[in-house]
Amino acid sequence: MSNIIISKIKKQVFIDGKAYPFVEGLSILKFIKKNIGQKIVPTLCAEPRVKSYGACRVCSVDVKLSKDGKSKAVASCHTPMSAGMHISTNSANIQKLRKNIVELVLTDHPLDCLTCEANGACELQDVAAAVGIREVRYAKGKNHLDRKKDTSHPYMRMDLSKCINCSRCVRACDEIQGQFVLTMTGRGFDAKISVDDNGSFGDSSCVSCGACAQICPTSAISDVFQAKSIEAEKKVRTICSYCGVGCNLEVSVKDNQVLSIQAPKDAEVNAGHTCLKGRYAFKFYNHPDRLTSPLIRKNGALEPCSWDEAFTFIADKFNQIKQEHGADAIAGISSARCTNEENFLFQKMIRAAIGTNNIDCCARVCHSPTAYGMQKSFGTGAATNSISDILLTDAMLLIGANPTAAHPVTGAKIKQAALSGKVLIVLDPVETELAKLADFHLPLRPGTNIAVLNMMQYFIIQAGLLDQTFIDSRCEDFDVFLENINQLDVDEMAKISGLDKELVKNAALAYAKANNAMSFHGLGVTEHSQGTKTVMQIANLAMMTGNIGRKGVGVNPLRGQNNVQGAADMGCQPHQGAGYLPMDDPKNQRYYTDKYGVPSPTTNGKKIPEMFDAAVSGELKAMWILGEDVVQTDPNTHHVVKSLKNLDLLIVQEIFYSETAKLADIVLPGTSFLEKSGTFTNGERRIQKVNAAVKPLEGCKTDGQIIVEMMRALGYQQADYDAAEVLKEVADVVPFFKGVTWDGLGTQGLQWPVNENGEDTKILHQNGFTRGKGKFHYFDFEESKEIVKHQHKYPFILTTSRELQHYNAATMTRRTANNELLNKDIIMVNPKDAAAKKLKAGDFAKITSNRGEVTLEIEITKKVKPGIIRTTFHFPDALVNMVTSAETDEETKCPEYKVVAVELEKIEKNEKSAKVETA
Amino acid sequence: MAIKSIEVLKVSRNISLLSGKHKGSLLNKLVENSTSDKLLADQYNFGASTIPGTRSFYDFLKSDQPEAFVCTGTACLCKGNQKAVRATLEKHFDTVGEMKCLGRCYENSAFHLRSNKIKNSVGKNYSGNDIEHLESLLTEKLLSESLVEYDVQGTAYTAKSFASESFLVENQLINSIQDFKTHTETLFDSTNESLLSNLLESGLRGRGGAGFPTAVKWQSCAEQTEPKKYVVCNADEGDPGAFSDRYLMEEQPLKLIFGMLLCAKIIQSNSGFIYIRGEYPESVEIIQRTLDALKKQALLGEHILKSDFSFDIQVVVGQGAYICGEETALIASIEGRRAEVDVRPPFPTVEGLYKKPTVVNNVETLAAATSIFLTKGERFHAIGNGKSTGTKLICLDGLFNNPGLYEVDMSTPLSFIIDKIGDGFNREIKAIQIGGPLGGVVPIDKLRSLNLDYESFSDAGFLLGHASFVCIPKEFSALEYAKHLFEFVADESCGKCFPCRIGSVRGSEMLVNKNYDSELLDDLLDTMEQGSLCALGGGLPLAIKNLLQYFPEEFANRKIAIKEI
Repeated sequence: MSNIIISKIKKQVFIDGKAYPFVEGLSILKFIKKNIGQKIVPTLCAEPRVKSYGACRVCSVDVKLSKDGKSKAVASCHTPMSAGMHISTNSANIQKLRKNIVELVLTDHPLDCLTCEANGACELQDVAAAVGIREVRYAKGKNHLDRKKDTSHPYMRMDLSKCINCSRCVRACDEIQGQFVLTMTGRGFDAKISVDDNGSFGDSSCVSCGACAQICPTSAISDVFQAKSIEAEKKVRTICSYCGVGCNLEVSVKDNQVLSIQAPKDAEVNAGHTCLKGRYAFKFYNHPDRLTSPLIRKNGALEPCSWDEAFTFIADKFNQIKQEHGADAIAGISSARCTNEENFLFQKMIRAAIGTNNIDCCARVCHSPTAYGMQKSFGTGAATNSISDILLTDAMLLIGANPTAAHPVTGAKIKQAALSGKVLIVLDPVETELAKLADFHLPLRPGTNIAVLNMMQYFIIQAGLLDQTFIDSRCEDFDVFLENINQLDVDEMAKISGLDKELVKNAALAYAKANNAMSFHGLGVTEHSQGTKTVMQIANLAMMTGNIGRKGVGVNPLRGQNNVQGAADMGCQPHQGAGYLPMDDPKNQRYYTDKYGVPSPTTNGKKIPEMFDAAVSGELKAMWILGEDVVQTDPNTHHVVKSLKNLDLLIVQEIFYSETAKLADIVLPGTSFLEKSGTFTNGERRIQKVNAAVKPLEGCKTDGQIIVEMMRALGYQQADYDAAEVLKEVADVVPFFKGVTWDGLGTQGLQWPVNENGEDTKILHQNGFTRGKGKFHYFDFEESKEIVKHQHKYPFILTTSRELQHYNAATMTRRTANNELLNKDIIMVNPKDAAAKKLKAGDFAKITSNRGEVTLEIEITKKVKPGIIRTTFHFPDALVNMVTSAETDEETKCPEYKVVAVELEKIEKNEKSAKVETA
Repeated sequence: MAIKSIEVLKVSRNISLLSGKHKGSLLNKLVENSTSDKLLADQYNFGASTIPGTRSFYDFLKSDQPEAFVCTGTACLCKGNQKAVRATLEKHFDTVGEMKCLGRCYENSAFHLRSNKIKNSVGKNYSGNDIEHLESLLTEKLLSESLVEYDVQGTAYTAKSFASESFLVENQLINSIQDFKTHTETLFDSTNESLLSNLLESGLRGRGGAGFPTAVKWQSCAEQTEPKKYVVCNADEGDPGAFSDRYLMEEQPLKLIFGMLLCAKIIQSNSGFIYIRGEYPESVEIIQRTLDALKKQALLGEHILKSDFSFDIQVVVGQGAYICGEETALIASIEGRRAEVDVRPPFPTVEGLYKKPTVVNNVETLAAATSIFLTKGERFHAIGNGKSTGTKLICLDGLFNNPGLYEVDMSTPLSFIIDKIGDGFNREIKAIQIGGPLGGVVPIDKLRSLNLDYESFSDAGFLLGHASFVCIPKEFSALEYAKHLFEFVADESCGKCFPCRIGSVRGSEMLVNKNYDSELLDDLLDTMEQGSLCALGGGLPLAIKNLLQYFPEEFANRKIAIKEI
């Protein structure tokens, strides 16, 4: 009875005499910030993105447990609010205490504010002003003002004379990035921040994410761009154009120049965090290598020309080819680096202004199997959930992805989740950073994903861990699937994959037993001859365990490029138009005819590998390649070069003179993301606003404007490029963009589908699948033809991936100081293989495949198993894709980059240098 | 307390959890040094800075350790013999290090020897007349062996009970492995409810200084649903002047260990740690040997006495950082993190070692819990004033006529302790610092008005703490004493909170001469007292204020507020 009465009396707390309803579970500081204001209580060591630490004590407040109780000063950042508390945020006692603490801090801080980078943006300065410091009464004593500045790193800067020992940087390195590069060393007054083992940033294990620099309240840690400076005349919020995470960036601009980049703290995607690419690798945008004029090939050489000349030349040539060979003799490859609006316009130009479905984009060579496979299983070829669901999941299954290098902010989130005790299962032939941390690392032989996933499904069924209700009510074709799986020879599959059966079993059970399990996959799933099938097996795992349609679960491809999701959404593929409507369906043809005002092409177009084949055979006469260096990035370089050379007309729209541009007849200078507006759609279907920070470099046009002007030259009327206007058109054509408007996207963007009211969708397939029922598929493991055909002559398996410092062909990152951090592709070789091949660390080795050869430096490491070697394809002087295979995924023609049969042999150094000279 | 729901989580949670995935204390591994730091970091999935950060925290983990250390604890300081001891040591050693109290306060002149030629040499302590025989000590076989042969005779001192019933010193109910076995059988036949209610009835409060009711702490931990829990014995008796924990570890190890087993059964823990300061090599040796003997008899380890209950205890040896006596720092230290003080709540009973529910108790508390189990809670409770119950160990330093370790009833008048037990002083004394360097300094004329209990002390503005008595001779300058305390705190500050880290240094700088700004000193003391994260920075001002209050003339030249000049 009395309980009932008590519960009816609202619990209260009293702050500076005013009553507030008590809320459980908040620190006093958070309660005050939430209920009264951000600036009521000054703080130094507290920062919302890291845990409360309790070091500076500046946030102290007076607390009485009852009105007449004894008053005690407590640090508000880590003292829980409890009901009935009486709090004084600014009593005379507290004012004095804060002032005295800050005075102590200032006894060991250089008072050179006027010349300090952080002047005007320094939290110590703000707090000192707020508490009213006018003098430092202590006589000069022991201090650390003579500490030397660390300038050893291309980006990071450290000046510990300005450090106040708040440990924010240590906590950011630990709690945000999870790298543990920074620590406090020593004890007491001489405790100081140190990098690695008392080293310098330059030769440390630092991944240059800049979290420490951004979180430092003074300028003790900053960067070479002086990002804390308030010198900029404006700050422009935009979206990073590297990977598909979609980090929000805040670009500081002065005099039409980018000064520095930071990450906005309020961004849902990245909350003040980003990686060294997003934060620091922006200097490519005005690099001297930028193309600044259209180029036309005359007498075998490319020379500058006017835009008019270029457009007229292209239009004439296109018309001629159309007349002689038909529109299908022309093809376009769009760019996932460009905005949705630009991709929409590009495919519209190809389809409406030229009249062919020969349009594709780089999704072909990365996640086309994801889109296709997930469409087959679920009905929608995109991530089912949001990255923030990592906070809500219990187990993570990571397949063929190395997110700490390729999707660093998501990688850091997965790492944090694993560190916090959530189950992490990693399927990867390489011992990646996350694989090392994982509860289960399954180092399978490249190309055997299906064998392993079938085993996992088998063990889950054997253990009776199926979500039968989900299967019965939400899915179809389970019986056929079950029948097949039950006949699986798991011993044989274990042998094929090179894995211990028990390990696979335990991993499978850990996934199935978790209340909520999430899967993530990358190109280690898709870039295989059984890529699409593998995606469908991942979908099976999710469906059989009921891990679809709610928070903390799902199938989540880690999309590679900033806007590869968007490029596909906009219709940059040969069989589906904008919004994924199949092009061979007359109903859809009528739909697009109606929308674009010209007859729609009727037959499906060519996929990228088919375009190259058609170019070699002479069927294809002209190609327009927008922002993609296919020579460096597509497999089997010899074949790609041969096909491009065989074209009558190659147009390359680029910002740099890429390997592909070198072969062009016309080169059109486009612009980087910093110079244009539009939208990018990240890997979790989030459409976010890209805002131009600076004007296009002189001589360049935005890619959207180039396309528009070309369309007009081809006789199709299209208004000048205006992001909001094109987006309006997109919303009219793409069904799941229906409610998207430029203004409606706000700062955080919207996750499609967006309905007419502007409501977005965080989680797909909540009540039913897009296709109705989720469909189970069974596939037998099939050995890659690459292995079957070539393993006798080429006994090693080469698999390729990426490093943190560079982005794909490194067109952009090579033109930044990232190149000082890493400037070569290296082959990882297992010690056993190295011994057998008489290779020592730093030696060069030649890799030969059926297609070609490449010579690279080696690194001896147990991160790869014997028989497996791994490298990257960032540098054009190596052109690793000389050796990669022509095998592709059966369904989507996605190339099998991940399984290449090669031979490995030692090469003498002088032989290597001779080769470079003649190259 | 719905503390778990608050967003405050201890730093670094990640390193705690990574460390918790491995068996054994990481600190021990750093001491052993049998695996390279790089390999350890790789095994633990740490970054490159984690282990260097930890190593740099501890005095004894630094490279180039001296082989001789002179005791600079307060009792030895006040006795005034240490200059001579150091000078003698310096004749034989190039460098002489310092250790802040070796627990030989009853006869002083303490020093520590170890060998750098022997891997993991834990060394040996000496005191009293030993320094006179230094040359022969150096040839002793003891130093050449990695483990010392403990010689009880070598450290003979008075240990006696003046209590109405002895629970600690003369209580011999658990004196052999057989006793331990018999009592374990009884323990296993008892219900946790009855065990807890007996402990509750005793009124036992933590003897480490804070005086928190032990039964409440154990019950809170017992209620946690986490399957993994820990019992940690805080044997980092760092307070200069105290040697009661050392006494219990060396003379009554079974009492301590049984107390941990008792706690483990009640809270359902299968893993315990005894964290012993490295300055007590003999304690380490005896505890380790006792644990080994118990394990041999299946009285510790897997399936104790063939029951379902398993409980194992590991010894962790502190590496020269006073702050590790603070429970959150001690936890961090076992985990191999930097031993910085953590915020509370959550308290260790909710989130302790490796972020699992943990009881951290002082040696004397655990030993008392054993005796309470063996006798009866009500008999313990019958002694004292009802709030401070049972008996308490006190340590009298070498300036008493009868120095030594004594057990007294709670609420025993200090006059009895000074005059009857201690038999007065062998030098003129002006004050006694009771309860360690963070305890109050009680002037001689106030001493006899106090009783030995938490209430009497706190009512008079002092602190019972560990109940160690360090006498300050008349000729010892109060200002020098205050400066020594500031320097002690500056040396031992973990460096985390600003008031303690900077304030302790500024305080010692101010007291270099008598010409300082008194208003500024008052502000500094107030800032440290109110603002510090733990009792190190927060406790120091009490002693300094006592000195300023009771010996103002010794600070007489202090400059009056700067603005008035």
